Amino acid sequence: MSRPAPATVRWMLLAVLLVLWEVVPMTGLLPELFLPACSKTLSVLYGDRHIYGAALLVTLYEVACSMLIACGLGILAGALVGGTALLRDLLLPVFSSLYAVPIVILYPIFTAWFGVGSSSKIAFAGIYGFFPVMLSTAAGIRTIDPQFLLAARSMGATLSQQITRVIIPASVPTVFAGLRLGGALTIIGVVVSEMLTASAGIGYLVTLNRTILDSPRVFAGILAILVLSIAYYMLARALESRMVVWQSAGRQQQSSAGVSTAAVPAPAAA
Amino acid sequence: MQHLANVTELKARLEAPAIEVEGLSHVYAGPDGGVKALLDIRLAVGKGRFVVIVGPSGCGKTSLLMMLAGLLQPSQGTISCLGRPMPKPDPQRVGVIFQEASLFPWLTTLDNIEFPLSLRGMPREERRRRSAAMLGLVGLEGFGERYPHELSGGMKQRVSIARGLVQDPPLLLMDEPFAALDEQTRMTMGHELLRIWSTTEKTVVFITHSLTEAVYLADEVLVMSARPGRIIDHIQVTLPRPRSYEMMATEVFGQLRERIWQQIRRAP
Amino acid sequence: MTRAQIIATRLALLALVLGAWELLPRLGAINALLLPPLSQVLTTLVELLGRASVQEAVTVTALEVIVAFVIAVPLGALAGILIAENDYLSEIFKPMLFYVFSIPKSIFLPMFILVFGIGFQQKVAYAAFTTGFVVLMSATAAVESVKPDHILVARSYGATQAQILWRVYVPSMLPFLLETLRISMIFNFTGVMIAEMYASRTGIGHLIANWGENFQMPQLFAGVIVLSAVAIIFNEAVRALEARCSTWRT
Repeated sequence: MSRPAPATVRWMLLAVLLVLWEVVPMTGLLPELFLPACSKTLSVLYGDRHIYGAALLVTLYEVACSMLIACGLGILAGALVGGTALLRDLLLPVFSSLYAVPIVILYPIFTAWFGVGSSSKIAFAGIYGFFPVMLSTAAGIRTIDPQFLLAARSMGATLSQQITRVIIPASVPTVFAGLRLGGALTIIGVVVSEMLTASAGIGYLVTLNRTILDSPRVFAGILAILVLSIAYYMLARALESRMVVWQSAGRQQQSSAGVSTAAVPAPAAA
Repeated sequence: MQHLANVTELKARLEAPAIEVEGLSHVYAGPDGGVKALLDIRLAVGKGRFVVIVGPSGCGKTSLLMMLAGLLQPSQGTISCLGRPMPKPDPQRVGVIFQEASLFPWLTTLDNIEFPLSLRGMPREERRRRSAAMLGLVGLEGFGERYPHELSGGMKQRVSIARGLVQDPPLLLMDEPFAALDEQTRMTMGHELLRIWSTTEKTVVFITHSLTEAVYLADEVLVMSARPGRIIDHIQVTLPRPRSYEMMATEVFGQLRERIWQQIRRAP
Repeated sequence: MTRAQIIATRLALLALVLGAWELLPRLGAINALLLPPLSQVLTTLVELLGRASVQEAVTVTALEVIVAFVIAVPLGALAGILIAENDYLSEIFKPMLFYVFSIPKSIFLPMFILVFGIGFQQKVAYAAFTTGFVVLMSATAAVESVKPDHILVARSYGATQAQILWRVYVPSMLPFLLETLRISMIFNFTGVMIAEMYASRTGIGHLIANWGENFQMPQLFAGVIVLSAVAIIFNEAVRALEARCSTWRT
C-alpha cells in the first residue's frame, strides 16, 4: 500500500486529535478539569459568544495598535539601520544583544506606568514586536542586489528616483515578511499581557476562568486565540504570495549568517 | 607602445571620433597609497566602429568602461564622448550594458525596457511604442508581459540590450554581457548582437575575456596589460562583414587570436 | 568608522542614556515615583542581592531554567533530527511548524496549571514545552544545513555511517548547534519568566510581578536590570564561543 500524501496525513492527525479531545474526557481517562470535551467547549463558546465577541474586539484593537508601533517603527528603523553603513555598524550588534532579554520582564513596568487598561498592552506588545521586526528588516534590506542601483544610475536615475523606483520596490518582500512577523508577535504580546494583568480581552477571560476552575471556558478562550493566530498567519501568507510572485528571483543568495539572523526573529517566544 | 591609435587616428582626422581618451590614469583610494588601476590610457574610437577591449582579470577594463559611462571619474586625464565630457551618466548619449542583466524582477519585460524612458517622464503611449520596437529588434516578440524570472539567461541579456538601446544612444558600452551564459548561447548572442549593430550606426565598446569573441565581433581589438592597465596592443580585424561562424576556422582568425594571446601572456 | 571609534561612540551613547536615567527623575522632569533615579535603583539592587528571600528566589528560577533546558533540548533535538532525516515525516510536519510558531504558547499555561497545579513542575513543564519547539525547528535547520555534496564525497570515499556522522555532520553542524543552544536558552528563560509571573509563589518572575503590583519601582527596576544583565552576558558568552567555532562560515 502506498503512503498517503503528507497533506492527507496532516488532516488525519487533526481529525485524530479532535476525536481524542472529545472521547478522552468523556470516558473519564482524564478528568474534565484537565481536559473538557470538545463539544462542551464549543457549546460554552457559542453560549457566551457575546462575551467572547466583545473580548475578541478588545484584543484585536490592542493588536492593531501595537502592530502600528511594532511594524511601523520596526520596518522604518530596520530600513534605516540596515541601509546605512554607519548606523548598522554602530547599532545593529547592540540591538541583537538586547534581543536576548526576555521582554516580558518589562511588562510590570508598563502596568505601573499605564495601568491595567489597553495602553499597557499596546506599549508592551509594540516593543515586543519591534525588535524582531527591526532585525529582520535590517537583514532583508541587505539582500537587495547592489547591481540594481548601478543599472539605475547608468540609466540616469536621480537619487530620489533610485529610492522610489528601485529600493522601495525591491524592499517589498522584506516589508511583507516584517508585517507577517510583526503581526504574529504582537498577537502573542497582547495575549501574554492580557493573561498577566488585565481587565478585558480574551487573555483576561482565560485567566479569570482559570481561577474559578471553569475549564470549558478556559479552553474556549484558548480555542479562540488559536483560531485568531492561525487565521492571521494564513491571511498574511496569502497576501504575501499574491504580492510577491517574483520573490525568489531577484534576491542575492543569503549567506548562512543571513539565514540564521532571519531564523532568529521568526520563532515566537511565548 | 602608446601611440598605437595609428589607423584609427587616420580615420579620426577625417571626422571627429566618437570617443577620445587622453592621459587617463586612475588610482583607487586605499592603504599604502591605494591601487593603481589604470596608467596613462590614450585612445580614440571612430564613429560606427565596434571596438573590443581584452585583458587579464583586474586590468582595469571595467573601471575604464565605468568612466566612459560617467559612473566613475578618473583621477587624471580626460574623456570625451561625442565631443563632450562625461561628468555623470547620460543614457541618451551612452548606453551601458552590464554582465548582470540586472532586470528589475518586479517589472515585466516591457516595463523593464521602458524604465529609462519613464525616468525621463515620457508619456506612456510613446514609451510603449518604443519598447515594443526594441523588443522586436532583439527578437523577443510575445515575451513582453513575462517577468524576468520566467526568462532564460540569454533572454534576460537580450532584454538588457533592448533596455540599453531604447533611448537610441549613439554610443554603446558593454561589459562582458555574455560572460554568464553558456558557450552555445554566447555564440548565438554574439551573432545576434552583430545583426542588431549592423542595422544601426552605433559605436560599440565591448569588453570580454574571450579571445574568440573578441576577434569574431570586433573591427579593432585593444589589448590591455595586467594592473596597472595600459594599452599594449591595437589590432585591426580585417575579416569581412557580415561575420560568419565559418570564419572561426580560418587561418587568419587563428593568427589574430594567437597574437592577442601572446600579448596578454607576455605583458608584465 | 574604526573599531575603536565604534566602541567609543557606543560607550558615549550608553553614558548618555544612563546619565538621563539619573538626572531626569532627580530634576523632576520625570516622575521619580515612576522612574526612580539610577543611583537609587543600584543601591536597591545591592541591598536586594544580600537578602535571603531574593537569593532563594534566584535559586528557584535558576533551577527551573536549567531543568527545563535539560529536558527540552534532547527531546526537541531528537524530534528535529528525526523530522529532518526522514523525507516523509519532513513533508508532513514541516509546513505545520510555521503554524505552530504563530500560536502564542502562553495560552496553554492554564492547561499546565490545571494539570500540575502551581509549582516547580508546572513551570518547568511549560518552559520545556515552549523551548522544545524552538529546539526542534533549529535542529531541523541544522541537519538540513549539512551539504549533501559533502555527504556524497564522504560516501564515495567509503566512509561508514558513524564516520559520516562524526566527520561530516558534527563539524558542519557545530556552529549551528551552538546558535541553537543560545536561542533556545533565550526562549527558555522567557518561558520560565512568563510562568513565574503568571501564577507562582516563588522565583524572580514572581517577585518582579509583585513589586510591580505594589508599585515598588526601585526594586522592580533592580530586578529587571539584573535579569537583563544575566541574559545578555550568557548570550554574548555563547556568541563568542560560536565565533571561535565557525571561522569557516561565510
